[in-house]
Amino acid sequence: MYDWLLFLHLIAAFLLAVTVVMYSAVAFGAAAPGRTLFVADRCWDVGGLGTLVLGIWLALYLDQYDFFDGWILGAIALWFVATALGQTLQRRLASGDTPAVAAMHWIRTLVVLGLLVLMVWKPGA
Amino acid sequence: MSVVAAIRPDDWNIALFVHILGAMTLVGSLALVATSLAARDLRLGFRSLLLGVIPGWIVMRGAAEWIAEKENVNDIDPTPAWVDLGYSIGDPMLLLIIISTVCAGIAARRQSTGGLRMAALVLVGIMVLASGIAIWAMATKPT
Repeated sequence: MYDWLLFLHLIAAFLLAVTVVMYSAVAFGAAAPGRTLFVADRCWDVGGLGTLVLGIWLALYLDQYDFFDGWILGAIALWFVATALGQTLQRRLASGDTPAVAAMHWIRTLVVLGLLVLMVWKPGA
Repeated sequence: MSVVAAIRPDDWNIALFVHILGAMTLVGSLALVATSLAARDLRLGFRSLLLGVIPGWIVMRGAAEWIAEKENVNDIDPTPAWVDLGYSIGDPMLLLIIISTVCAGIAARRQSTGGLRMAALVLVGIMVLASGIAIWAMATKPT
């Protein structure tokens, strides 16, 4: 059970990485096709939901972690920040505000990196 | 086994972080290549292979060796199946990356949306599936 929860949690996290890489191409100035951005946004939808639900499930399933551990609460907070940034990014992209899109993308990338740091180091666990 | 995997020495973390970061760049770039080639954007597909997939593979593979050394998994006899699986997926992938990069590069140069684009697309699809199996092996660590 634990193995499959972790596997699906990781797959969801890799979907978030797909979104970040695809938007990085846009931030670097590539004229990404609309289909590419559509895939990127759907990857965030599925990956975002997957990481959150499966991550909480894992925290409740494992005895050595508690839902109220600082690193888990921190990760949930970062998840909400990254998701909010992604939604704003989509709106700015639709309105053609390219400089803001790049800035917001790089901030979201840093937040996602912060999530990965928390998942690997698990400070306080 | 799973509980043991969840608790690891702190000095393994940096190698694991770099390994996952490389793997995420690799998989994310492969997905970008696949959607670009499918949308007939040959230039973006080729550049993503060159600037995303290849560096991602190098970082992932280098950090894999780093963490294998820290964990001494290569000294275990017999080598754990999940480690063997990781190597047997990761190493041949370099060959597929080189072939698909050459195919995509020639296709982009000729602006050819025919066989070479399709060949690169199929190879990238295989690599995405293989990456999924590798992630499964790293997460579940089958014996």
